[in-house]
Amino acid sequence: MKLYLVRKGQFVYYSNELHKVYGVKPMYKKSVHLIRLRDLTQVLTNAASVERYKPKELDSFIFNHKAYTLSKDRKAEAGDYILIHNPMPDSLDTYSLNEIEVVETVDKQGVITSNSHGIKHYEYLLMVPGRANDSHPIDYLDPKGVQAENLNDLDPDNTNITSTSLVPSLGDIYKKRDSDASFESMVVAMKDRTVYLGGGLEISQEELMNTDKWEFLYNLLDK
Amino acid sequence: MDHKKYQGNSVFIISLLLTLIFIIWGVFFTDNLAKVTNTIYEGSIDYLGWVYLGATLFFVIFSIYLLFSKYGNIRLGRETDKPDFNTASWLAMLFGAGMGIGIVYWSVAEPVTHYTTPPYGKAYTVDAANTAMKYTFFHWGLDPWAIYTVIGLALAFFQYNKRLPAAISSAFHPVLGDRIYGPIGKTIDILSIFATVFGIATSLGLGAMQVTAGMHDIFGVPNELFVQLIVIAIATVLFIVSINTGLEKGIQYLSNAAMILSFAIMLLILIVGPTMTIIKVFFNTTGLYVSDFIHMSLRLKPFGEGEWIATWTLFYWAWWIAWAPFVGMFIARVSKGRTVREFVIGVLVVPTLGTCLWMSIFGGSALEIVQNTGNHDLAKYITKNVSLAIFTFFDYLPLSSFLSILGFAVVAIYYITVADTATFVLGMLSEGGTLNPSNKIKMTWGIIQSALAAVLLLAGGLNVLQTASIAAALPFAMIMIVMCFSLLKGLKSEVNLQKGKKRSVQHY
Repeated sequence: MKLYLVRKGQFVYYSNELHKVYGVKPMYKKSVHLIRLRDLTQVLTNAASVERYKPKELDSFIFNHKAYTLSKDRKAEAGDYILIHNPMPDSLDTYSLNEIEVVETVDKQGVITSNSHGIKHYEYLLMVPGRANDSHPIDYLDPKGVQAENLNDLDPDNTNITSTSLVPSLGDIYKKRDSDASFESMVVAMKDRTVYLGGGLEISQEELMNTDKWEFLYNLLDK
Repeated sequence: MDHKKYQGNSVFIISLLLTLIFIIWGVFFTDNLAKVTNTIYEGSIDYLGWVYLGATLFFVIFSIYLLFSKYGNIRLGRETDKPDFNTASWLAMLFGAGMGIGIVYWSVAEPVTHYTTPPYGKAYTVDAANTAMKYTFFHWGLDPWAIYTVIGLALAFFQYNKRLPAAISSAFHPVLGDRIYGPIGKTIDILSIFATVFGIATSLGLGAMQVTAGMHDIFGVPNELFVQLIVIAIATVLFIVSINTGLEKGIQYLSNAAMILSFAIMLLILIVGPTMTIIKVFFNTTGLYVSDFIHMSLRLKPFGEGEWIATWTLFYWAWWIAWAPFVGMFIARVSKGRTVREFVIGVLVVPTLGTCLWMSIFGGSALEIVQNTGNHDLAKYITKNVSLAIFTFFDYLPLSSFLSILGFAVVAIYYITVADTATFVLGMLSEGGTLNPSNKIKMTWGIIQSALAAVLLLAGGLNVLQTASIAAALPFAMIMIVMCFSLLKGLKSEVNLQKGKKRSVQHY
């Protein structure tokens, strides 16, 4: 019987994969609300089916399709991702356990994130892109039961996973940047790594993700 | 980086020195301090009353303008930002931060005092009771919340939309440009810290008097200056421990508890008190307040003694303004992701209704009780022992000891949370608007604000607290007027910016 309390922010395993608790709603039958770190998919479940994990230095995992290794080697710099593993919020702060944020500025005491949170240097672990060679992958509770193609993700030499930072989704509107004529188009279909844009244009996912060539404007469904 | 560090330190050192000089003056030349603050107080009646009245009315008009203006749709933060808190807890937090100790302290004492010495008309009459409630609404209604709206909105907007440091000087970026990092910006920050320290010291002084009064009522501890100083000392130790041990999360739980307790007390009194009278008072006074708002806002006595206006209206306006950097910083912190319109409704309209309801419940019941006794003794007793007022009032209600304990808990918790949050805000302001103030600086401010509260109590209690905040808030009132124009300029540029973005996504 598990007697610990599930709390917002904790890293947990659910059906063998690493998730983060983003909310605990005691009134619901499925009271534990999770987000899968690998691809940010939402899952609702209950406390009995999750297993807690406390992230530490040199753990590596995939967050939003990109691999990161937790590190304490250096202080964060502007643009770095950090994991707030030891939150000690001041009385006006609103961040909580294990939030993942982007550093905007750094000062002597700590960093200020793009979310306007002031975080002291001892409160976070740096998320270094890629898997360090001596890292310990924590994506799966039991890696044995995982299909071989997914296991490739855990290999530190596999750089494939880090290059696909974002994937286009249906309804995304893109603007062409490397031409003088104004051209905007919407993603209407996707097959494997080919993206079909309105107007009959077929391009590869990599090309669309190249920010020098195409600029993401907004998604039709966001408005 | 070095340049910025230097700037942070000079603001800290100068504002610290100014405050220290004031404290030393108070400890060694107590009489002299009382005399000088008194001179300033009288000067403020004769010469500066109109400045406070005019400025505060202007803030009300300005906030209402923002509510209906085209800037209403601007979101504080990025377009995609979502509010950190749900609306109900956001409103509760705003209410708690803006009023806190003060509303507990004055909600009984003020209407009863006005009833015994009304601004005009005959005392101890039904008319006096209505006038008393009307002025209580006035002092706690739109005006303080308009002051907080202006400063909170300016701080949030320049912090989240323009990505500037969390300092008061950042609000002047549209007017001053990069000079906000230079001597002018530093002067603004120093003045804002000076006003804030006095605003907080006033609240802590009132809080210490209130906590002592509560202990006197419940445990029979003597209600004396000596005990008040001990209360300040113990609270100082407590929040310094919390700064150093990371108990800050506990402080957040405490402040939520205080909020829930105060709503519980309010509901309880509504039920066990004279419910029908309370409802009538709320409706009647709201009407009086709305119809006499302009008259009260500009009321001065050109051909007579303005004593009453100075002790009440001017004191409140000054206190709210001195309090404003602190509350503004708090409001800005919790309001990211709201639109300007939501912000004005949440900070100006809803809390005004809330305070009016609170005042009707406490003040209305108190006036009913005072009138029912048939003589003037109770009213006179409350007026003489202002800090005991709320506990005296509880004694006349059912469940009185339960209410007293709840009331004491609320005041004690508010005291410690305000003191703790104040150290964080002062730390931020004095280190150039960083969100990571160092513990040393926070502790320094913690000790300083307690010392100042103690000195002001030593020098003569409530009167000195009042005069000191009137004096300290004056320069900051000027700063806030300029801030309105600066904010308007900033909002205008934001509207143009967002228009530009919109065009690029339209299909043409």
